[in-house]
Amino acid sequence: MNDIAVTIGPVRFKNPVFIASGICGYAEEYSSLVDLSRLGGVVTKTITMRPRPGNLPPRIHELPYGALNSIGLENVGLDRYVAEKLPQLNQRPDVGVMVSVAAETEEEFIRLAEAFAPMDGYAGLELNLSCPNVKGEALDQGRNPQLVERIARIVKDRIPHKSLWVKVTPNITSVADVARAAEQGGADAIAAINTVIGIDFDLATGKPVFARGSAGYSGPAILPIALQKVWECVKAVSIPIVGIGGISTIEDVRKFFLAGATAVQVGTVLYNDPGLPERIIDALEQNPHWLKARASATVTPADPSY
Amino acid sequence: MAVFTPARAREHVAEVVANVFLSRRYFLLRLARPQDFIEPEAGQFIHVAVPANAAEGRFFLRRPFSVHDCTPDFIDLIIVEVGPGSQALRRAQAGDRVHFYGPLGHPYPVLPGKRILGIGGGVGLAPLHYYGFRSPATLGRGYRLVYGARTREDLFLDHIPLEGAGVALATDDGSCGFRGNVVQLAERELLREPADAIFSCGPTVMMRAAQALADRLGVPHHASLENRMGCALGACRACVVPTTLDDDSPYRTVCHDGPVFDGSVLRWEELPVP
Repeated sequence: MNDIAVTIGPVRFKNPVFIASGICGYAEEYSSLVDLSRLGGVVTKTITMRPRPGNLPPRIHELPYGALNSIGLENVGLDRYVAEKLPQLNQRPDVGVMVSVAAETEEEFIRLAEAFAPMDGYAGLELNLSCPNVKGEALDQGRNPQLVERIARIVKDRIPHKSLWVKVTPNITSVADVARAAEQGGADAIAAINTVIGIDFDLATGKPVFARGSAGYSGPAILPIALQKVWECVKAVSIPIVGIGGISTIEDVRKFFLAGATAVQVGTVLYNDPGLPERIIDALEQNPHWLKARASATVTPADPSY
Repeated sequence: MAVFTPARAREHVAEVVANVFLSRRYFLLRLARPQDFIEPEAGQFIHVAVPANAAEGRFFLRRPFSVHDCTPDFIDLIIVEVGPGSQALRRAQAGDRVHFYGPLGHPYPVLPGKRILGIGGGVGLAPLHYYGFRSPATLGRGYRLVYGARTREDLFLDHIPLEGAGVALATDDGSCGFRGNVVQLAERELLREPADAIFSCGPTVMMRAAQALADRLGVPHHASLENRMGCALGACRACVVPTTLDDDSPYRTVCHDGPVFDGSVLRWEELPVP
């Protein structure tokens, strides 16, 4: 079989196919349906210093081309993650683990990074600076390039031997500015994109479907948005881009590589088609040239719009 | 270290054997049982991918359905039409292939030697039917069922014979059995002969009344809930309901902590009423 390993920062992953954060929980949940050891890795559900109960239900709403969610970073908190979730996942041989983390303050990011710095059993951290479903700071961090750079730096300084990915929001004017800031701060990769902010209304009640109103939109509808943000990041930085958003077929994955991505994360489609990540890996192993298929970054000069 | 126990579910493809009209809103979908499908426990469900079709397009979220019956040859589901997904399933024909995974979720408890009264409404019949009358693990052990619907037509007795020992029926319009709601009938049945536990499955309002009845009688109540789900494996936290439990979070997933809950821990007033 062809070697399709990818190296992101100081870490080598066996292939470029990951499951996106929030989709598979702490990954053990999916162990009967997905052979986790075949994946490049799993990005586990975002954890925060303290446990969070998450948002008032309902939390998911299906639409013709995807789904809106408003989970609200429900998670067990750092202590239980380290004591229970990571050790349980580590009992499975050879599963690559990227840990998604979020925090409200720079001080909390320092404490998270210091907690992980001496640990084994994970490949790196993905900074969730872009969750649309929580109050206050989280989304604003991802909109502020200076803050993104500082947070990336304080984390990377403490885990130089691990891979650091910064997950960016599409809900912003210039994703390139944020990607550059993350690179400046020492990030090893940009993970693009998080969910797109959306809303839907219940005609029977006349109110938004979700208690918080706005929610995160994912699924095939956001594929072209994600591809465009990846394209924008690829031109802005020289670190790898991990493409996320709307993948539901093997062809979609090829488009991320054409846009210049180094790896991909599969998300919402897992709820419909849990076998897809492994089929993508099979296809990539048979067609390793797809990984190098990056389209020319030059666009026709006849097109003044870009 | 607290260990999370993952579902033992597998992904399957099954052929539709029959799709039977039960009444205006209800149908029974019979799937050929895949050989390696694990025997479900009563109250468990399967997560069904709605086949794409020209009219409705693709569906990204699967639909959870409680097992109504499972034999060596087939799996039966009772489905009520509530939206485009169930409408698309209604159009599935014999020979169509359906993807699903399961069995999933926390089942009704097995209570040897105990007298159990099941209270069911609508598609809530499925797990109560499987528990008392079909599942080899729980079949015929001092089990009684009271089951209600709006009218005789919605009891679909022509297709699922329920009249007989151990079953009492109620209709809102009195067209069959007791005239009134099924929890009133359950109360009458319990006065005649007490039970050691109440199981319920049906509309939220019905199960809430069943909880009130159980509280009044001092009897344990196990309720099977439904909800919209993402993963159905306890991972995505989309299908949670509020409970009085609180270790980090009051929320529990219907898919993995449920669908069958000890009714006394649910915050009934906050559960959605569809």
